Amino acid sequence: MIFGFNGQEIIACLLMGAGLVFLIGSMVGMLRLPDYYSRVHASGNSETLGTLLVFLGLMVFNGFSNVSAKIFIIAVFVFLGNPIGSHILAKAAYKTGHPVWTKKQAVQHELSTEPTSSIATAEEKEAQANADLHG
Amino acid sequence: MQIFFLVIMAALIMTIGLMLQRLFQGPTIFDRMNGLGVITADTILLIVLFGFLDKQPGMYVDLAMAYAMMGCLGSVVLAKYLGGKKL
Repeated sequence: MIFGFNGQEIIACLLMGAGLVFLIGSMVGMLRLPDYYSRVHASGNSETLGTLLVFLGLMVFNGFSNVSAKIFIIAVFVFLGNPIGSHILAKAAYKTGHPVWTKKQAVQHELSTEPTSSIATAEEKEAQANADLHG
Repeated sequence: MQIFFLVIMAALIMTIGLMLQRLFQGPTIFDRMNGLGVITADTILLIVLFGFLDKQPGMYVDLAMAYAMMGCLGSVVLAKYLGGKKL
């Protein structure tokens, strides 16, 4: 008995708290990552794990009953449907020629958003370093 | 325990609101589909949690099961439509 909860409720709270962390991580990744492929990575993995952990916590909280079996069936549907949907969407985007985010684009984007253009680009710095190295 | 359900439901409603922003301003059609998939998965969880908050989860779990079947097929069908013959 901690804070008036018995052991079953404490385990359910821990599982649902872990699921909540993954759900919020998935949300932050969907909003802040730069590319479609990285965003589908955030939503495909973390969302599925967070949903499954919260469903597992609800099953532990409810005990061994009819409702727990139905929640298990829903968890199986989510576990099959969410990664397959993400995978097939990413495959469709790649087959239709959706552009892939690279580091070069990131450097150009940072330079284009800077107010002053006095800083040399990465390629110029690399060329200067090669010239210094090779005489 | 009720307050814990309320915290998770608040986080899920906040996630759905922010995914609506991704749904409307997403640069490509694939981003919009991705946001729609996240909204579907969160809504299933929200329905089940509301059933536990209402202390009669038997009815709401059936609704969530039907919604999970729909969400499982919808994104796959639309991705097949978008991907064309090459997929």
